[in-house]
Amino acid sequence: MERVVEIVPEAGLHARPAAKFVETANEFDADVTVAPVAEGEDAEAVAASSMIAVTSLGVKHGEEVRLSAEGEDAEAALDALEEVLSTPEEGEE
Amino acid sequence: MRTLTGTGVTPLSGLGRVVWYAEEIELRDPPEPSTVDADAERERFESARETAEADLESERERAEERVGEEEAEVFGAHVQFLNDPQIAEGVEDAIADGLPAEHAVREGFSGPIEQFEGMEGRMAERADDLRDVRDRLLRVLTDAGGTDLADLPEGSILLAERLTPSDTAKLDPDRVAGFATALGGRTSHAAIFARSLGLPAVVGLGDALQEIEDGSEIVVDGESGEVIVEPDDAVRKRAAAVRDVEVRREPVATADGREIEVAANLGTLAELDGALEQGADGIGLFRTEFLFLDRESPPDEDEQYETYREALSAFPEGRVVVRTLDVGGDKPIPYLELPDSQNPFLGERGIRRSLGPDAGLFESQLRALLRAAAGEGRLAVMFPLVSTVEELESALETVERVADDLTSEGIEHAGPELGVMIETPGAVLVAEELAARVDFLSIGTNDLAQYVMAAARDDDRVADLHDPLHPPVLRAIARSVEAAHANDAWIGMCGEMAGDPDLTELLVGMELDELSMSAVTIPDVKARIVETDADAAAALAGDALESPTRHAVTNLLHQ
Repeated sequence: MERVVEIVPEAGLHARPAAKFVETANEFDADVTVAPVAEGEDAEAVAASSMIAVTSLGVKHGEEVRLSAEGEDAEAALDALEEVLSTPEEGEE
Repeated sequence: MRTLTGTGVTPLSGLGRVVWYAEEIELRDPPEPSTVDADAERERFESARETAEADLESERERAEERVGEEEAEVFGAHVQFLNDPQIAEGVEDAIADGLPAEHAVREGFSGPIEQFEGMEGRMAERADDLRDVRDRLLRVLTDAGGTDLADLPEGSILLAERLTPSDTAKLDPDRVAGFATALGGRTSHAAIFARSLGLPAVVGLGDALQEIEDGSEIVVDGESGEVIVEPDDAVRKRAAAVRDVEVRREPVATADGREIEVAANLGTLAELDGALEQGADGIGLFRTEFLFLDRESPPDEDEQYETYREALSAFPEGRVVVRTLDVGGDKPIPYLELPDSQNPFLGERGIRRSLGPDAGLFESQLRALLRAAAGEGRLAVMFPLVSTVEELESALETVERVADDLTSEGIEHAGPELGVMIETPGAVLVAEELAARVDFLSIGTNDLAQYVMAAARDDDRVADLHDPLHPPVLRAIARSVEAAHANDAWIGMCGEMAGDPDLTELLVGMELDELSMSAVTIPDVKARIVETDADAAAALAGDALESPTRHAVTNLLHQ
């Protein structure tokens, strides 16, 4: 199961938003990976449960990522992660 | 006596004994793999991880109280790094290879740390976060744990290669006399925390710092950026004297009853607590460019609105003067594409950009400000680097247009006080006309001295000329004051000059209504105001304004 999502928080997938993203990914049993869309189909997907891996993608505000999930609660995981990525941080809108 | 020079980050000085921060935790050589019980090591790692996580949570709470919520959130990211599966895997592999938990932790972090070290900018800062998390685990595991920062001997000055956010947040300003680091700049986490905590601090001292021995007596002067090793009596006395000043939380007046507003200059919300603690009556200069720096796109209207509201709610009684975006010159911002300029200080900066290439940003900033003005508190907005009446009129027209837009959109807003910074000789020469159109003027003495004396702020060879006590600068200030008062406008000063307690009497005599400065100098300046007699001050100012040379002015001040 896949979904492409645009990053809304100004800080990109970095520091606070990344921490929230990883925290959310870890709430589900599904295996979720994330890859930057800008780098094309070959971009390496990394585990959404790893702060190190997610941060090192360096994905910025306005860029898109492809989320892939496998497992029983895959759809719920994708919904929750999409919500995190499309919600501005407090103070942003 | 020996002096090292770095970057001062707080205008405070401290005297104390050196405690070197043992940052790199040294591990003994690991035992033979066959003698290591892997299951027991796995358990040790797991329990260290739990302890570290609990510590991080309580530090986050403590930092929220002491330095502010936003700064404290760095610890949330640390928890995620601590629980990272990539780290756990690396540690597990090393334990399976027969290493004890502490060596395994060092192994598990080394790859990711190197990975981030090789990247640029904010990514490279993640390497510092990872080291911070690794060392936290190592301290729990080895127990030998290096220096306990929360329990330094009273009167110690911490020296370190670098300090992480959690290191700095642990320092107790009641016990620690200051810190100095080899790495780091004015805007590093350590510097920001130092300002919030009111700690004397110098960063960026380089390798020379290593030569200072544990236990030696030193002075850290966060104002001049100097670290003085084995100071003589005079230096020692001066450094120790700074903190003995009473903090006055209420507005003060001269001995004969003339009230002078004493406000704080600040750049980030993290500095609000410091300003309140030092007894600021309000904010005299909120430099909004820090909202725009260190990020990849500008803050939007709502984020700005929240920031201004927070500043206003910290001072329900006092005034908050917000300066609109002042970039260009020495303040580059990546996404604004500032042009290269041979003379950046004479180029497109301040209001010139707000009326030109940054008009969109200017408008959204004004929208946020007008909305913020509708709530409680007294908001004032001022425009930087104005030198003509036309510029001011365009800015005022933009304010009107923005207000009309908000009205037609049905968005609640109000009109803040409006003012102009007096920073150029041009502004001084039309100060009458400017003052007639606004509620207040505020003198930025650093830039005013630079432009009146035609001496660049950052050129050491002309540093002597860059002194506000030169008669041309004093007379420019006096002329601005006169122009303001003749037009029923109030006038403040928000440059370095305002925060120098040795000049307080002179400035009171020159009839400034407000003085704004780094929070830490507020208690000294308030103390001087209370001692000042307005008539004597007026006489001093009169003599100073008639003096032909800086030398003569300085002599008057020392009489």
